[in-house]
Amino acid sequence: MITISNLTKRYGDKYALDSISFDVKTGEVLGFLGPNGAGKSTTMNIITGYTAYTEGTVNVDGFDVAEEPIEVKKRIGYLPEIPPLYLDMIVWDYLDFVYDLKKVKTDDRTKHIQDIVDTVKIDDVKKRKIGNLSKGYRQRVGLAGALIGNPPVLILDEPTVGLDPKQIIEMRNVIKDLGKERTVILSSHILSEISAVCDRVIIINKGKLVAEDTPENLSAKMKNVNRMMISVSGDRETAQEILNSFDGIQNVVCVSSQGDAYSFEFDTSLDEQDRKDLFFAFAEKSIPIIAQKEIEVSLEDIFLELTKTPAKEENENEGDI
Amino acid sequence: MKAIFNREFSSYFTSMLGYVFLTIFLLLTGVMFYLVNIGYMTASMTGFFASVTRMAVFFLPLITMRLFSEDRKLKTDQLLLTAPISTWEMVLGKFLAAFGVFMTGVVITMIYPCILAAWGSLPIGETINCYVGFILLCSVILAIGAFMSSLTESQIVAAAATYGALIFTMLLGSLSSYVSNAKIESVLLWLSPLERFSEFTLGIMSFEPIIYYLSLTGLFLFFTTMVFEGRRVR
Repeated sequence: MITISNLTKRYGDKYALDSISFDVKTGEVLGFLGPNGAGKSTTMNIITGYTAYTEGTVNVDGFDVAEEPIEVKKRIGYLPEIPPLYLDMIVWDYLDFVYDLKKVKTDDRTKHIQDIVDTVKIDDVKKRKIGNLSKGYRQRVGLAGALIGNPPVLILDEPTVGLDPKQIIEMRNVIKDLGKERTVILSSHILSEISAVCDRVIIINKGKLVAEDTPENLSAKMKNVNRMMISVSGDRETAQEILNSFDGIQNVVCVSSQGDAYSFEFDTSLDEQDRKDLFFAFAEKSIPIIAQKEIEVSLEDIFLELTKTPAKEENENEGDI
Repeated sequence: MKAIFNREFSSYFTSMLGYVFLTIFLLLTGVMFYLVNIGYMTASMTGFFASVTRMAVFFLPLITMRLFSEDRKLKTDQLLLTAPISTWEMVLGKFLAAFGVFMTGVVITMIYPCILAAWGSLPIGETINCYVGFILLCSVILAIGAFMSSLTESQIVAAAATYGALIFTMLLGSLSSYVSNAKIESVLLWLSPLERFSEFTLGIMSFEPIIYYLSLTGLFLFFTTMVFEGRRVR
């Protein structure tokens, strides 16, 4: 459905996107994952014909974005990061306007809009001014706008940002339902969200594609990285020496200190016996362990794992200071 | 195009802007009508239009400054530019909305010639000419304003740039009287849209200034379209 090859976007000599290639099959829900500034929104803006690109090709349903932008735009419903809403309009009037703007042709305009209003559950606010709605409702009105005309492709840029947990779950369910019959590209920097909704995940970082896999495989990769946090009360230098003396412990970082209590984070492959030894090693120096826990690997850690760019060293240095 | 026009036009009246503009427009034209036509007891509207065109320079940018810059600032341009419409449809729809608001004011001012016709002898041909010239000149100003608005996301900058461009063309006209070379003088006069308005006050319908105004309007709308195309095309 969507084929992107060697897509490059340059600002001066700075690369916002560096030769990205991937494709999305019909009916697939693709997760687009990356930290802020990775190029997610840029890629989406290019596919929807909003932004220009420097090199490469973008093809949607057989139409090239640069050659036949209108044909491409007809097939895409786009919800940008900031929903493009006219705050002075009534919800229903806005959707009515989008209907005309997209030159949608259906037998029954009112029914078409009402169906979408029901899908995204905004029936109770359809007579209200968009400017008076909460962030969650605005996001849904934006999604409704993207759905007008039933486009076969949906591109949603961080649709759950700024929503409360209940709304996030609702939004996810809506997207899941939509994904049953449509091709969806969904961006996020929340991993759990992507794994809940998507068939396949693409990770980009600093304009480069770093991984492309199913959520299951990605989670499996993550489990190899085991990170642990330990808080001790006592001398910092000694504690660090003890940690460093273990073979299974790497990348020790002192993350915080409070009085004479220090918290360290480190990658670990310690087994049960090693953990006991660690306890006694601290006990020997009479440094009590106040807290100890395993840390869930965050998205950033996967990036570091996957990319191994100099950014990793930078992060560690920051931790040391 | 119709969708954009409708939304844009009604947005002038859901915000205060449309009313503010019409108030200022009708107040100024009303005062001018009183001073020029009633004050001097004349039924000819050439003096009225000569003053009003100078003032148009200052109040027309009010309705064009937000035209594209507001969309860019609020990111609603993402909706318009990713909709399956061509760029010129969007530009034209928005321009016509601003033009429509202006025309609402113009239609109301037609009370003045009616008053003159009722109690004096209104030179009908001349008045029609003046109206045609005024509307065309104002469409040039609106197109310049629309173009400036497409260049920035700040309404203030858009308005200031429009004033700058318009004052520059006014200065071109004034400058021409200081130039001794007749050829340069005529070029300067030719370049200044405001100076060309005098041709409409002569009472003879001539096509050259009409074409001139229409081309200038078209040119600036074309530039505006190019601004958006340029952002989209590599």
